[in-house]
Amino acid sequence: MPGTLTPERTAARLCELSGDARAAILLDAGGSLAGSSELESERARGLGELARELFAAVDRASRPDGVDPPEQVEAQVEGGAVYASRTPQWILAVVARRTALSSLMLMDLRSVLAELETGVPIRTSTSAVANGDSLPISPMPNLDPEEA
Amino acid sequence: MKEKRRGPIGRAAGLAEGMANTVRRMQRDREPRVILYDSTGYARLLQPDARGYESVIAVSERMVRLVEEAES
Repeated sequence: MPGTLTPERTAARLCELSGDARAAILLDAGGSLAGSSELESERARGLGELARELFAAVDRASRPDGVDPPEQVEAQVEGGAVYASRTPQWILAVVARRTALSSLMLMDLRSVLAELETGVPIRTSTSAVANGDSLPISPMPNLDPEEA
Repeated sequence: MKEKRRGPIGRAAGLAEGMANTVRRMQRDREPRVILYDSTGYARLLQPDARGYESVIAVSERMVRLVEEAES
């Protein structure tokens, strides 16, 4: 299907969606690097290895009885933030700016993984641009009695 | 209830308190932290003394450093 997101494009797609994403990688279920954003291959492999270590550390972390293993992780550290999300098939990890909004970044991770797995593209939109002559009349009523 | 009117010293103290709160909030935002989310989106803060906290922070720092090197 044309336009379908491929594993190779997934990390770059995440960086396109979020201006706060600095670099991203995608790993498959076997832990192999399936795609990366614009990183040279050696660094991408290094980031992939670290993403595997990240979830290994997350799985070793203490958690209350009866709580499932975490699906997403957010780590705020000096110089940046790391977000990672996993499904049974994929791990998507991103290094972001410290100023990134956690809820948006986590939603972007989930959305991109959903696009990869279902093939349904994320719906994006851009704000309308109108020139001054064609601006619509404001729907707000004028409440100033002096001007009426 | 109507707020009690404060004098100049009270207003200055209020301003200083607000600034101190802002500085504390900014310091807190800069501190390392780890939040884990389950499949329903429920968030759990991993306490600094919890098992795994140090490992997650250490790996994350290495990831950020690697990207910083790539950017420079």
